[in-house]
Amino acid sequence: MDVTFSTEQRDLQQVLRDVLAREDDAQLWKRLTAELGLAGISVPEEVGGAGGSTIELGIVVGELGRVLAPVPFLQTMVAGTVLARSAAGRDTGLLPDLADGRLVGGLASPGTTPPVAARTDEGLRIDGVLDHVVDGPRLDVVLTPVTVDGTAVLAAVRRDADRAETTTLPTLDQSRPLARIALHGAQATEVGDAADVARAHDLLLAAVAVESAAAARSCLDMTVEHLKVRVQFGAPIGSFQALQHRCADLAVLVEAATSTAWYALWAVGSDDEPRGGSVTAPLAKVYAAQAFRRVAGEMIQLHGGIGFTWEHPAHRYFKRATSTGLLFGGRSWARGLVSERAGLGLWATGPRDRSSDRASSR
Amino acid sequence: MDLRFDDADEAFRSEVAAWFAANLTGEFAELVGAGGPGREHEHLEARKGWERRLGRDGWIGLGWPESDGGRGLSWERQVIFYEEYARAGAPGRVGHIGEQLLGPTLLMFGTAEQRRRFLPGILDGTSLWCQGYSEPGAGSDLAAVSTRAALRDGEWHIDGQKVWTSLATEADWCFVLARTEPESTRHRGLSYLLVPMDQPGIEVRPIIQLTGTSEFNEVFLDDARAAEADVVGEPGQGWKVAMGTLALERGVSTFGQQMGFAREFDDVLATARANGAAEDPVVADRLLDSWMELQVLRHSAVMTLGAPAGTTPGSEANVAKLMWAQWHRNLGELAIDVAGAAGAVAAGFGDGELTAAQRLYLFTRADTIYGGSNEVQRTVIAQRMLGLPRGSV
Repeated sequence: MDVTFSTEQRDLQQVLRDVLAREDDAQLWKRLTAELGLAGISVPEEVGGAGGSTIELGIVVGELGRVLAPVPFLQTMVAGTVLARSAAGRDTGLLPDLADGRLVGGLASPGTTPPVAARTDEGLRIDGVLDHVVDGPRLDVVLTPVTVDGTAVLAAVRRDADRAETTTLPTLDQSRPLARIALHGAQATEVGDAADVARAHDLLLAAVAVESAAAARSCLDMTVEHLKVRVQFGAPIGSFQALQHRCADLAVLVEAATSTAWYALWAVGSDDEPRGGSVTAPLAKVYAAQAFRRVAGEMIQLHGGIGFTWEHPAHRYFKRATSTGLLFGGRSWARGLVSERAGLGLWATGPRDRSSDRASSR
Repeated sequence: MDLRFDDADEAFRSEVAAWFAANLTGEFAELVGAGGPGREHEHLEARKGWERRLGRDGWIGLGWPESDGGRGLSWERQVIFYEEYARAGAPGRVGHIGEQLLGPTLLMFGTAEQRRRFLPGILDGTSLWCQGYSEPGAGSDLAAVSTRAALRDGEWHIDGQKVWTSLATEADWCFVLARTEPESTRHRGLSYLLVPMDQPGIEVRPIIQLTGTSEFNEVFLDDARAAEADVVGEPGQGWKVAMGTLALERGVSTFGQQMGFAREFDDVLATARANGAAEDPVVADRLLDSWMELQVLRHSAVMTLGAPAGTTPGSEANVAKLMWAQWHRNLGELAIDVAGAAGAVAAGFGDGELTAAQRLYLFTRADTIYGGSNEVQRTVIAQRMLGLPRGSV
């Protein structure tokens, strides 16, 4: 067993941290894709990527998450990785462009009723609305589950397709745009089956978990630094036990979220045999997003008045944390998946299944 | 990053599982599920026999160096052993204080002679230890120890009182933190002494806990004796030795503990399904939270235990303790709520006759106190891991 990053992975992390410390937002996408080639880092080399694993993907989303970088990277990397994993996805010819950042891709929100599609000579024709699509206004290609003759399949639809209409939504979290994409018979390509849908969602959830855990750690770090220098009552306020104990609880939460998120991302990436990723991915997303929201909320409180200002970054983290919890299928849906996949039968999104009585030890 | 046990480790797992299947039978069959926190009073004689069986077949000191009689196994294999131990339902250990606290302390600080004298008894399960740290005036503030020891006529003479001493009624030896420099204060002038329990100067009085049972004790030392040579580390350096021991506490056995937690959770879930409590959405929500957080405990243990030594702030044990203690206490609360009105009815008349849910509910109040209270853990995490300044309290 090896829980560490390799030397190359640590180097990648350091390079990214350096770039993010000095790059202004306008140049960031170009720098990360065209120059560093990171969009395809977890896409196999034979289809235009860098051949890395989900761990490299996690390092990138984690570093971007730490600074709330407003680039649609998480979505693009997940979309590329999902397409690369299915034969039909590789056949679309989208991968080389996704891998070098010429195309921006992403998944539609999980946890909602998929639109209906019909098979035609040209592929699929989709009718329905994809709501709350993360990074939606920037996506060139949207991957979404659709129902064809009662069966779920994974479809890829170009946002500039005929009869596809995008509405940009004003957002609470201004670092991450949302769109509603209405499809009125838009043409799409079938890129996977129901199992691919599930795997796509698991990868997305695990990646979101890693992003959230990294951002939560960033909030904690900034807060601890503030407590060391802010003086009141003649002492750094970080020397007060009331604040130390709250920070300790946050530190425990961040450690736990980080471990769980990385476990999930490792597990969904090692699909040669089941490693529990299907349970751990939704679990990690729920846990990490919740931890992030709590830490960001405490960040506001522990900064005092300055934490409530527009100028201070605390509110941007708080809004990202909140949105992350609400989006990507939301909390109830993900908890339902955990309960169902672990055989607990406690919290079902559909009719409760009481027949599953599997023991949950381990 | 590769978070799986390799094939050789899995083969070791089969070997361990087979050993439990073959040995947890006959005279030991009654021990399945017995002992451990909250049930320390159960089947003590048989559990001592079980220690000797473990020792006979080489299952004690798995991580100790082979040169000291251990097996030098990797942390992965130790984890596997503890997991299989719990999976088999093997009884709560009575030799764990010697194996997990005193032994590693001697490996780190003991002389060759001390290791030769004391380690074999731990390894073969014949010599049981208890820990003499806490005192009525030295709980969270361990440096306030006031038990005194003086060297006269080639022997340490010890006077004072220890408290919360687990298994003191069963132990053959106690490692005692005592003040050996009369004018010293705080962490200076303490020594780490190895004291035989069977002597006129020692009296053990069990403490009846709020569970009605007893696993902690008071230990009174009234001119108790220890041999001059039985001091670990230099006289006056006992604090350093004791802290070394505490840093070693709560390691690989975490995984076995979590396996036990999973078993307890399964029981609570089964009750909730059987009596309809799980139909209450609030209870269902808490059950799901509990299960999810148990997975989080496991993932955290994997990621932190596997981190190479020296690459972390060294507060993993504090983080882990704070997490599991709260999780377990919450499970106790859930268990009694799931029981409903039946939770108000005891299993029988007389001391200690609690239902499993009641025992879990009541005993877990101790989890957040012993081994460093939640409050102590938080202070250590804040100051050591986060680097917040010491100062006002």
